[in-house]
Amino acid sequence: MAGKSGRSINNVPESSIKRMIFSWEGILILIFIAVNIFCAMFSEFYNVSSLLRQMPVYLAEVFLMLPMAYILVLGEIDISVGSIVCLSATVCCIVCNMNAPFIVVVLTGLLVGTACGAVNGFILTKFTELPPMIVTLATQIIFRGIAEITLGSGGSITMSNLDGFNAIGGKVGQVPYILFLVVILAVVFAIILGKSTFGRRVYAIGTNRLTAYYSGVHVQKIRMIIYTVMGTVSGLCAIFLLSSSFGANTTTGNGFEMDAIAMAVFGGISSTGGKGNIAGGVIAAFIIVCLRVGLGQQNVHAQVILLIIGVLLIAAVALPNIIGQVRRAVKTK
Amino acid sequence: MEKKSFIKKLTGSREALLAAVLLVLFIVVTIINPSFLTVKSLMDMLKNNAVTMVMALGMLCVMLVGGIDISIMSTLALSGMSIGMLLKNDVIASTPLAFLIAIAIGICCGLAVGLVISRADVPPIIATMGFMYVFRAMGYLVSNGGQWAGAAALGDFKKFATTKFLGINCVIWVVILCYAFFFWFMKWTRTGRMIYAVGSNPSAAQVSGINVKNIKLLVYVIMGLLSGLGGALQVSVYASAMPDMQYGGEMDVIAACVIGGVSMSGGRGSVLGALLGSLILATIAKALPLIPFFDQLWLNTIKGVIILVVVVMNVVLQRIADKNALKGREM
Repeated sequence: MAGKSGRSINNVPESSIKRMIFSWEGILILIFIAVNIFCAMFSEFYNVSSLLRQMPVYLAEVFLMLPMAYILVLGEIDISVGSIVCLSATVCCIVCNMNAPFIVVVLTGLLVGTACGAVNGFILTKFTELPPMIVTLATQIIFRGIAEITLGSGGSITMSNLDGFNAIGGKVGQVPYILFLVVILAVVFAIILGKSTFGRRVYAIGTNRLTAYYSGVHVQKIRMIIYTVMGTVSGLCAIFLLSSSFGANTTTGNGFEMDAIAMAVFGGISSTGGKGNIAGGVIAAFIIVCLRVGLGQQNVHAQVILLIIGVLLIAAVALPNIIGQVRRAVKTK
Repeated sequence: MEKKSFIKKLTGSREALLAAVLLVLFIVVTIINPSFLTVKSLMDMLKNNAVTMVMALGMLCVMLVGGIDISIMSTLALSGMSIGMLLKNDVIASTPLAFLIAIAIGICCGLAVGLVISRADVPPIIATMGFMYVFRAMGYLVSNGGQWAGAAALGDFKKFATTKFLGINCVIWVVILCYAFFFWFMKWTRTGRMIYAVGSNPSAAQVSGINVKNIKLLVYVIMGLLSGLGGALQVSVYASAMPDMQYGGEMDVIAACVIGGVSMSGGRGSVLGALLGSLILATIAKALPLIPFFDQLWLNTIKGVIILVVVVMNVVLQRIADKNALKGREM
């Protein structure tokens, strides 16, 4: 009983400013500022223009975070996206080397991604008993396998015609195009998830799939759409990846799925479904991007940066749980 | 009536089905290339897949309680790299000590993962993903910035994988011992049965007096232990230690378990299934280069298709069985 009354006192609405600071997004913004101050102190080359110059390489992964957030809100997971990026980058390179016009190359990339995503969605909606983890594990191996077969024994391909990719790698003033695209897509995805009927249905499915089904939500249709969009965005990521790497090999996109999931989870999107929003994910993504740029400037090895991201990820999920447990233990005493 | 019971039997005993698949695979490959079915080639196959086979046991335990562990190959790299560097810098020389150190490191890693999952309630996929980064980076730091411990540096340790005991390679003995132990452990000990109980219904297990949190901790410690052992085996079989060894290999281990009929949602799966699953994967990997037309490039695609076919088949058979069960009730 004591616990119950305690909880109701806790739920008294607080002032909106206080709520904003103590929400997860508020904490993330504080971490974001702290990371930027830390990087500026750590590396003398760290400033806005160098950040904007070095950002595009890492920004391609932020694309993946957006649909991944939808999938996590559904309470599911897709670990095949890295392989989809690899496959569509490979096909893009081949089409580009056949001297196709740039628009065809881009469309091919998006199409390959969409097709891969649709395969995932099709299997998952036809055989709903299957856990997404296993299906996307299998398709992860298959998509990368197809890319390996396509690449042949050499295992890598470089592009001959760079004009189009140089163009999309360009910038307005100092701001690269890709940053604009990331912001626009983030706003679109955030509005759809947060404000539209579709988004509310996604939350409904993530919270309780059966209830959502009985209240007339087309669960399978929505899952199919989300997995397909995940594929399309992977294709987009592949195209922007090519605009900085100008080639593909069998390890292209290795671990991208993990980075995308890490960004989303760090941003407060629960992997058990029904919780979180895009804003948190985007702030978390930029924290990771800034950390990579800043530490990368001082030749900190990529593995060490991954170590920091790993610790951040575990801490971000574990600490609130531990604090909650301690609070409950104190209260029951 | 006859047909129904046949299908029921088929779905009921997954192991029989898997054994049949393995047998067919053996026969087909032997017809295409007789050099496959020789003692030496089979022993080689077992030796080269010892790491995956041993770790499939740990993954079985983890998946039985409804978890998953994708940090295992990072644990393997950390423990393998640690003993590699210790041997290289002549800190230790004896093989048993190296094995013990690798296993101890593995247990520590497993303990960390288990504590985060069981005590802080972090979803297993998220926690192990974080630890996958952390352990891999620690392995890299241990290696002093990406150094290798080559065959020359390993000294007597690499001989472990070439010495034979009673005509069978020591590495294969380790695999046999592990499987024998786990066969007994999962079937005839209280703790083994508790793991199954927690997996099939955690709340029922909780109210019947099983400490669910400790069982969850235990399975990740077992997984860590076997990863440490796998690290030592990996270093001795391939006679080299590098920080990026077995990158992405956790998918093979998970695939072996899934093919072996271990359910992702927990509670279902057996040691025999894990053995057959990893043997089927090993046979395919070994047989593919022997078959003309397919070369090594096709390996991953075929592996993925097989995983997909197996899980989809499973669902279809289950649906048929359910439908038949319903039919029986109507009559």
